Amino acid sequence: MSQQRSSYAVGTGLFIVLGFAALAYLATQTSSVANVHQGDSYVVDTHFTNVGQLKERAPVKIAGVRVGQVQSIDLTPGQDVADVKLSIDKRYDHIPLDSVATIYTSGLLGDQYVGIDYGSSKQLLAANGTLARTKSSEPLEEMLGKFFGAGGVADDIGGTYTVTANFSNVGTLSPGAPVKMAGVPIGSVQSVVADPLKLNAKVVMAIDKRFNQIPDDSAAAVFTSGLIGTQYVSIQPGGSPDPLKNGDEMILTQSAMQLEDLIGKFLVNGSSSDNKGAGNGGK
Amino acid sequence: MSERLRQHDNVVIQSLAQIGNCGLFLLALLRAVPRSLRYMRETVRQLWFLGAMSLTIIMVCGLFVGMVLMLQLYHVLSIFGGTSASGMVVALSVYRELGPVVTALLFAGRAGTSITAEIGLMRATDQIDAMEMMAVDPMAYVATPRFLAGLVAMPLLCCVFCAMAIFGGHLVGVTWLGIDNGTFWANMTSVVEVRTDIVNGVLFKSLAFGAVVSLIAVFQGFTTPPTSEGVAYATTRTVVASSIAILALDFVLTAFLM
Repeated sequence: MSQQRSSYAVGTGLFIVLGFAALAYLATQTSSVANVHQGDSYVVDTHFTNVGQLKERAPVKIAGVRVGQVQSIDLTPGQDVADVKLSIDKRYDHIPLDSVATIYTSGLLGDQYVGIDYGSSKQLLAANGTLARTKSSEPLEEMLGKFFGAGGVADDIGGTYTVTANFSNVGTLSPGAPVKMAGVPIGSVQSVVADPLKLNAKVVMAIDKRFNQIPDDSAAAVFTSGLIGTQYVSIQPGGSPDPLKNGDEMILTQSAMQLEDLIGKFLVNGSSSDNKGAGNGGK
Repeated sequence: MSERLRQHDNVVIQSLAQIGNCGLFLLALLRAVPRSLRYMRETVRQLWFLGAMSLTIIMVCGLFVGMVLMLQLYHVLSIFGGTSASGMVVALSVYRELGPVVTALLFAGRAGTSITAEIGLMRATDQIDAMEMMAVDPMAYVATPRFLAGLVAMPLLCCVFCAMAIFGGHLVGVTWLGIDNGTFWANMTSVVEVRTDIVNGVLFKSLAFGAVVSLIAVFQGFTTPPTSEGVAYATTRTVVASSIAILALDFVLTAFLM
């Protein structure tokens, strides 16, 4: 009987120990006080001007293959530069000294990681060495700005010239939107203001100087990229022999389509439009 | 009509009386705690039977809950390219809700029913009365050790359940589906907080559920009609009442704690 009792006691003790071990595991391994233990590795120092959303224990990759993890992220004392320590597996110790460490994002919304692109130096990176060449994480806003704004047009090559166009309705067109010809960006919208006299919208466009052979009777239209995309100005070339010059105004314009108007037209099936005949007065 | 009304009335009054009796029973139970310290050995034996013997079902269920959760999340999150967040979602949902609730439901089914059936049979075979005749306080010797054992066992079981769920999630996510190991842990550790998730979520909730389940089980056992039919009915009622109490209390606790 006493034998059985002691086996109860031992089993119960084991159960309690197991429960507390599980609690300790949850508290230390899966929460923010988790340690950074790992196998044989060496530490490399890097400096970034912006680490974005990079986290400790994020992967370090070479050619997309994981070779280590981020050990610590700190601010370098006295500077506005982030000091990132990478802990890299001992097996991968043939990294050229002039390699570039870049902060990449996996996918559009994914996590950030450090990628190392090999340089060509004969000298190898030593333990506790520093990767001097780094490329910081690019904030999404900047990338989006490039993407939606000038649309890849190099603003500083060859300069730009400006032309204006008046639209009766620009929709949600905003400064920075691309100006496209044949679907290719050739410039950007500089300003959108209401004209106090003509009572319409005056759009100033900056067009790359390389495209200086656009006929002066070309038409400008406000289009939407896709159903819910951003709006841009599309230029449809005319047939005039004279090109557009700096400060010219484009006469032929087509305003932004309003979704409400379109639906209205669709439902009423071709009722008389109130502002269609800007040029011809009436039917 | 008045007959039905009276019956209806009886049901309401009966359930109110049941709740009141349960509250009074809890007070008697707590008053018996100092007297039950004499029977420490009995408490340990109950801890063995209610806690340690439940480990198998808790561990297996925890493993499968973690695995299936990860599998589901992976397929949904892969639409948005956010599969690396699945470890973190598994951890948060297990710590805050699934761990305490599923453990408590399993505990009610595994341990609560056995408490009710055992005490109910003791009552049906007049063992409780015999104890009173021998000047052994049944509250201190039968009821309180089981209540205390349930109170201690539930948080421990819940910790084991959560650890197994994380292990199962890791097994499916990292080993099988190929989520990066470091990202899995990094995302998890970046959102899980010891105070809000582990202390409030795992420990506090499971302690409350343990108290409710053991109270209902012991109370049902003590108040069962001393017939074999009554014992069967009381066992069923333990599971039903415990499950409702767990889920309702879970909502209240979440509203207060989060």
